[in-house]
Amino acid sequence: METLIITLEKCIGCGQCVIVCPTRSIKLNDDKAFIDKNTCVECSTCYRLSICPVNAIKKERLKMPRLVRNLFSDVITPHKLTGVPGRGTEEMKTNDITNRIGFSEIGFSIELGRPGLGTNVGEAEKFTIPLTKIGVTFEKDNPFTALIIDNKGHIREDLKNEIVLSLIVEFKVSYEKIPEVLNLIKRLDKEINTVFSVGIISRVKEDGEIPICDLLTRSGFPVRPNAKINVGLGNR
Amino acid sequence: MTHSLHRKGTIENLNSDYVIIAMLAAGYNDKIPSIKKNHFRVGEILEKHGPVNILRKAGWGISSVIQACFDDIEKVKNILIELKKEELGISIVVSGLVSEIKKITTEIGLTMHTVHLSLGEFGKKSELPLEKVLEITTMCGHHCVSSQSVEYYIENIKKGKITIEKAAENLTKPCVCGIFNTKRAMNILKSILEDYK
Repeated sequence: METLIITLEKCIGCGQCVIVCPTRSIKLNDDKAFIDKNTCVECSTCYRLSICPVNAIKKERLKMPRLVRNLFSDVITPHKLTGVPGRGTEEMKTNDITNRIGFSEIGFSIELGRPGLGTNVGEAEKFTIPLTKIGVTFEKDNPFTALIIDNKGHIREDLKNEIVLSLIVEFKVSYEKIPEVLNLIKRLDKEINTVFSVGIISRVKEDGEIPICDLLTRSGFPVRPNAKINVGLGNR
Repeated sequence: MTHSLHRKGTIENLNSDYVIIAMLAAGYNDKIPSIKKNHFRVGEILEKHGPVNILRKAGWGISSVIQACFDDIEKVKNILIELKKEELGISIVVSGLVSEIKKITTEIGLTMHTVHLSLGEFGKKSELPLEKVLEITTMCGHHCVSSQSVEYYIENIKKGKITIEKAAENLTKPCVCGIFNTKRAMNILKSILEDYK
């Protein structure tokens, strides 16, 4: 894995790389571009787009802990664990085959940093520690779950200060624990140091009813009009 | 991946934005040769129905997904009719307005199996770009389309340095998944520029 640098001798200060950076980490100083290594998430978008007219953007070898930025931010890098590029998992997309989420449970995908602000990895502990107390089941095939090191929800210490484009805290709960999770979301809405997007995964009844919608609306969580729907065409 | 879930927009402009994802299930059907062949067949069907954008063919078979976006629910319906008929056994997800997807699945005799709902975003929302900018950037699910590139193109369209069509085309380039809806981006850029008049 490689980190990104701009070869200053080559840079002509055109600013094209500044425009494309998803985290605004490339800046111009004295007509030369430089990458702010504190905020750069190693997504490689600037490099991948080949927008530099003089090929000034190069990659150098990357190691842990900084490597985690690339693993969670570079859309081209498939995770060793999941084989899925980027930071996602199958979630509900193959639920008609895997039955990851059954009728008596609800899945949550809480994506810290989305849309587009990024997040410190350590910020996720504000979720993982209380979620562990609630008694959720974290998705084992999610790359982020592999960073939780104990049964109290702590995250690897060496990775906490690394910044990523986003990470997904993915888990499921039984119906009776949903109010606790929703209360946690309400609390962290005010306390989190980034943004997070919340997704809810539910089986659909044969008559088309989505049982969880009513509870969400009554709890003060209006559901957006667009969603992802597995239409049941997969089979084993 | 929640990458096609949190696409922002109004009901009106989301009605021209549907993503279809065909995904293999790791450990279940991803190593079966006939299923992998069927996966490509899904890609061919998606291609046939005139997507606005689609994962490029060189990427088919490299990861477990093939996906495309469409600007018309009728195209989605026709695709699902064909997929249902061919019984390819691949999991298919449609991302878009629930009311419209529910209607067409009922019409063609499909049952919605599982849904991934969006509750939107929480936290430091004051640090987010303008809503209209997000309507464009959230169409790249991995967030490779930067908000400042949208702002850059708006300024250059206003100055007459680039056309709306070319700006939308350039904004599409960072998205490798093939689900950035170029046509919808054009329409959103047009509506942003209308607000400036």
